[in-house]
Amino acid sequence: MKNKIEISGLQVHYGDKPALNGVSFDVHPNEILGIIGPAQSGKTTLLKVINRTLEFTPEATVQGSVKLDGVDIDTIGDVYELRRRIGMVLPLPVGLPLSIYDNVAFAPRTAGLRTKPELDEIVERCLQQAALWDEVKDRLDSLGTKLSGGQQQRLTIARALSHQPEVLCLDEFSIAIDPVTTMRIEDVLKTLQTEMTILLVTNLVQQAKRLANRTAFFLNGDLIEIDTTDVIFSENPANQATYDYVNGTFG
Amino acid sequence: MNAMTTRAERKQKFVLQGIPFIIFGIAAIPIWKALKKTDAADMQVVSPNVLSMLLNDLYILLSVSCLAILLGIVCAFYLEEWLPKNNWARRLIESHVAILTSIPSTLYGILAISIFFSYAGTLKVIDGAPPAQNTESIPFQRNTTLFCGEVLTFIFMVTPVTIKTTQEALRSVATPVREAVFALGASQWQVLRQHVVPIAFIRILAGGCRAMSRAFATAALLIGIYIWYDTTDAGGMSGRFILFLAVSLFLSVFSSSLTEVYDSDLTQRS
Repeated sequence: MKNKIEISGLQVHYGDKPALNGVSFDVHPNEILGIIGPAQSGKTTLLKVINRTLEFTPEATVQGSVKLDGVDIDTIGDVYELRRRIGMVLPLPVGLPLSIYDNVAFAPRTAGLRTKPELDEIVERCLQQAALWDEVKDRLDSLGTKLSGGQQQRLTIARALSHQPEVLCLDEFSIAIDPVTTMRIEDVLKTLQTEMTILLVTNLVQQAKRLANRTAFFLNGDLIEIDTTDVIFSENPANQATYDYVNGTFG
Repeated sequence: MNAMTTRAERKQKFVLQGIPFIIFGIAAIPIWKALKKTDAADMQVVSPNVLSMLLNDLYILLSVSCLAILLGIVCAFYLEEWLPKNNWARRLIESHVAILTSIPSTLYGILAISIFFSYAGTLKVIDGAPPAQNTESIPFQRNTTLFCGEVLTFIFMVTPVTIKTTQEALRSVATPVREAVFALGASQWQVLRQHVVPIAFIRILAGGCRAMSRAFATAALLIGIYIWYDTTDAGGMSGRFILFLAVSLFLSVFSSSLTEVYDSDLTQRS
């Protein structure tokens, strides 16, 4: 089976401070890969390397290679094309100062789609997938930034889905969403798995347990362990630190 | 913005800031000579026609808005959006902007009188005709040099302040917004045109107005001093005084109303 993403020897430094020290692993196609680990372990940095938004941090230096479908992402000439293939949901909900409709339609429009019926369909589908459609379908013209925190978070999920990405990176997407709605989105993610590969960074280890096919445990910029979720959450994972973190006795 | 931390960078900044002082020093020699030659008659404004003076001021207003503010905005966009963060040209421009904005605005007026106006006078002396008689016969030429001097002063006063306020307006557009738009596959130009400029526009406008207000207040002050110094042409000059003061007052009130009224809405949006 061909790997969707191949990461080998990835090192990232912010100035002198290391953020990732030589991480290597593969992501299989159509899997949900849970990424867990405490703060400062390099989870968000990893996602930023994959869609090359780390380039906006001037002091960051990247070594090693990341391959998407066997192609090194550094050799992809059109970085905007690369970013369109990867959906990204950031931990802080960023509603763009546009209407709800325009927020979701932004990426398809950027890619050159202009016809109204097609945009309508994409907007409705994405908002439904993000479990937001019922709450906003009567006020698609109001400002996206006027929504509540949890609604904005779901709006960013809808936005990330709007350009039909091959890889969906979720960085602590459920941070401001109530448990019931979170469960609805998790169900959607399970169905989306057939269309795309999902990287799920989460602080809720139970969420990784519920959703992920495989789980990776990061600690201080090192990949401690990557294995199927059953093994990671079993009584005997390969590394003692993983067991401690997963069972909440870390320290 | 990354702070200037290393010793070498601080040293470089210090040297770069020294350049304008050297330039001013070299320029001071002909200015000093010119000041010695200038007599009171040379400083008088020629045309006694109030209307033409006010029209002249309107020309200045238009040319300054076009030149100084556009120059400042373009410069600020270049600095913020395209120039690399750690670059000698950025350090050069930013340290000079810092110097120029920190100079009190009254000082600009005095500099303007001593540099541009008296230097124009010496040029006429070199031409061979005494400036006092020359201005009687050809008032238009005299007005043109005055006009250029005033516009140059305004550019020196307005541009740095516009650069500063525009930069701050652009920085006020939060990095998460930019990163979110970039993550959706938008290009630099699309990010600027569709997100950064609409959010920052009101602040840029208010900053430009504030810079203009500063310049007009200084001009009004200088004209006021001139009235008390020489009351031979009091009618026309006090007309200009009131015009400049009124425009300055209007612009400052307008800029604060822009930030108070419109920007509160936009900060909610961003």
